[in-house]
Amino acid sequence: MNFRILPAVLALALVVTLSGCAVSENPSGPTSSSSTTVRVPADAATIQEAVDKVPEGGMVLISPGTYTEEVTVSTRNITLRGLDRDGVIIDGEGLRANGIQVIADGVRVQNLTVTRHTFNGVLVTGMHDENGPQAHNLTGYQKLDPAKFPPLQRFEVDHVTATNNGLYGIYAFNSQNGVLSNNYASGSADSGFYVGQCQDCSILVSGNVAERNAIGYENANASDSVVITGNRFSGNRVGLTLLSWYQEAFVPQRGATVVGNVISDNNSADSPAQAQGGFGIGVGLSGAQSDTLERNLVSGNSVSGVQLSNTEDIATTGTRLTDNALSGNGVDVADVAATRSPTTTTCITPDTGLSLLPGDLAASCSAGASAGVAASALPQVQVPAGVSFLKVGRPVLQPNLDGDLTAVPDALPTSGPAGSFNTTSVTLPAADLLVSSTGTR
Amino acid sequence: MTDAEPAKGPSRRALLGALGVAVGAGAAGAAGALTATGSWPGETQQPDAGGTPAGSSGQPVLASGRYQAGIARPATPQHFGLLLVCDLDGTDTSWLGALGQRILELTTKATPTDVLPDGPGDLTVTVGLGPRIVAARDASLPGAEDLPSFAGDETIEPHRRGGDLLLALYSDDPSVLTAVGDDLLTLVPGATPRWRQRLFRGHGERGVVRNPFGFLDGVIVPHGDEELAENVWIGSGAADAALAAGTVCVIRRLRLDTARFAALGTPAQERVIGRERIDGTPLSGGPKDGEVDLNAKTPEGEFITPLRSHARAAHPSFTGSSLMLRRGYAFDDGLLPNGEADAGLAFICFQNTLRTFVVTQQRLDENDDLMKYATPTGSATFLILPGFSASSPLSF
Ligand code: HEM
Repeated sequence: MNFRILPAVLALALVVTLSGCAVSENPSGPTSSSSTTVRVPADAATIQEAVDKVPEGGMVLISPGTYTEEVTVSTRNITLRGLDRDGVIIDGEGLRANGIQVIADGVRVQNLTVTRHTFNGVLVTGMHDENGPQAHNLTGYQKLDPAKFPPLQRFEVDHVTATNNGLYGIYAFNSQNGVLSNNYASGSADSGFYVGQCQDCSILVSGNVAERNAIGYENANASDSVVITGNRFSGNRVGLTLLSWYQEAFVPQRGATVVGNVISDNNSADSPAQAQGGFGIGVGLSGAQSDTLERNLVSGNSVSGVQLSNTEDIATTGTRLTDNALSGNGVDVADVAATRSPTTTTCITPDTGLSLLPGDLAASCSAGASAGVAASALPQVQVPAGVSFLKVGRPVLQPNLDGDLTAVPDALPTSGPAGSFNTTSVTLPAADLLVSSTGTR
Repeated sequence: MTDAEPAKGPSRRALLGALGVAVGAGAAGAAGALTATGSWPGETQQPDAGGTPAGSSGQPVLASGRYQAGIARPATPQHFGLLLVCDLDGTDTSWLGALGQRILELTTKATPTDVLPDGPGDLTVTVGLGPRIVAARDASLPGAEDLPSFAGDETIEPHRRGGDLLLALYSDDPSVLTAVGDDLLTLVPGATPRWRQRLFRGHGERGVVRNPFGFLDGVIVPHGDEELAENVWIGSGAADAALAAGTVCVIRRLRLDTARFAALGTPAQERVIGRERIDGTPLSGGPKDGEVDLNAKTPEGEFITPLRSHARAAHPSFTGSSLMLRRGYAFDDGLLPNGEADAGLAFICFQNTLRTFVVTQQRLDENDDLMKYATPTGSATFLILPGFSASSPLSF
């Protein structure tokens, strides 16, 4: 027995070796006009072959088609781009673990669809070794050593559709200075989007839509400079969570900014079950510290708009709820923390007209700890049975990336835009934010 | 994609298999997953420090060594035990040397004594000090902190809470324990018995034994020197140097409602535990001595190791704690005045920091369906002192 083995995480073992075998020295078809662009299938039969071939700084351009492969990107500064977001489909067929696994710095993934993977649609992770990429969920008995795995730098996942994946749709783990923007995720058995395990993350999550997932967006142990803005996390079982999680490094989670999002009607029956039974919750904060939620529209969540609780012995502290539009929730803000780690200093402004549990919750801004209510005090709802992640409805057609798709983009900047993001300019969004991307076909 | 349902759709079983394999690959090789062959761990294990036999067999167990006996040696705990918990008049511990010396005498086969005319058999005696005594020396030491009150603890009778001195005696011969305990206590000035508990446990290999609910217990525990060093023995960090090779013991006397648990029936019981009743196989699959898979889900999103199962609730990964060495015994003290059996599990565990137990028990109180069938009736923690020998006496 060996506790020193690499983190017992999701071992996504079958990667590089399997996919490397089909590299062809003499690709058929015309070579692309630019030596830095490798086209699939024209220059390379598979996406993996193209990815292995393209030089640093280059681009893999994928034509419409269904690709039944697991792609690992280990070349720095490349762009993986589909020519048609709805038509370029990486299909895991309910058999393969991940669609695209990014383990190199400076990679962009754009304008394609990843679907039906038993784990993730897109995984960006700084944690990888000779066994391939790994991430999350330290369920062995050893402590994770983050120093062994410096975070991946500079990433962008943009205009990607991730549907019907068994864990997360789009997942950034142990990574910094990145962007998840304008993506769509549905039918994830865990969350549509996940940002995990980073300090000074400098990660911007903007313009995304998550619906019909167990959870829309999940943020575990991702701290300091995570900015979540202009997203629509509506129609999941739980909209958004910020949490401390002992199965990853860097507890406690702290200092995220959630501004200008629509987080509504998270009462979806056409979604996999949230394994902990979560349902009807807009925002869940668990062992979350010093997070700011400003000017979000949080409505129609049948149990609670914002729910505060502890992660084991880590309390939720210093939450600032400022100028949010909370309405039509079972209860607008509820503290359900256990007495062993009570929630402290929750500042809700304004608090007039809001339903709060306990009733004097807003007083905790200056009074300190609040007395969490029992879960049985929350509005009781019937939780619908989960739907298989493979059977959750298909999304409507999604908008393509704008501009000349054949132009190779410049390298991503060293520091992500989250660090300099100006939250004060973000206003309360309209209820129909990004609504044209929602629904089933 | 033209249809959400795959054309040649994987069967639910195949899908679960795929999930299980992908997750399980990461977990392989960690705690408990010793053998893929299905044999219980330890059958070929090297004896640990002191050349002790691997199993309880009536063979003598060395009292001297870096670590005290009765924790990791013998590897298979003896069938019977006696816990003696005393109050002490003061906080002086200068008697420890003589006590240790007497333990060495009693457990050495070469010198039959009045107390053990037939020799020691596999007798072991483990000595621990309660938080009051430890804190009087230095409140920052491991073992100086007392247990908090857990759910249901308010009904524990005061005399079964805490105590200053623990003598834990174990032997395959139940008839010798009282005499040994009485003999040893004559060497402890100002000791007043506070509570005592007779213990028994069934047959089992390498610490795995059927507990009073009929499930195999002791599967996922630290094995081998490296894991014991990491999880159980107090380390040699500056603050604790004097206590290195000691450990922090927690004892919880849990009255178990075996009738109500039995009435659940086997499948429901297995969902409460998270493992199969007959041979301990995790509900998430794999070898019977393998780890439970916490991540595996059905395609519909439900955990395969159930949300409120004991194996999930007790798992150290959720609390950022470590593996505890669990070494519990059954007890049966007859009937209570109300006609219920005063019987259950004397849960005994060892870890190098009290936090491991505390955060685990708090999590069980909040998340574990098994706790519905257990009532705490005793609770105490003791600093188990480092090992001793003739040349390096028991001391604090
Ligand atoms: C009600 C009395 C209890 C019973 C009947 C019981 C029974 C069991 C069983 C059958 C297992 C699975 C097999 C194994 O790994 O050994 C187990 C595992 C475990 N139990 Fe208990 N237990 C009880 C109380 C406790 C308490 C009070 C704690 C600690 C606070 C605890 C901590 C653990 C731990 C840490 C594991 C291993 C979990 C893992 O990592 O897989 N148990 N227990």
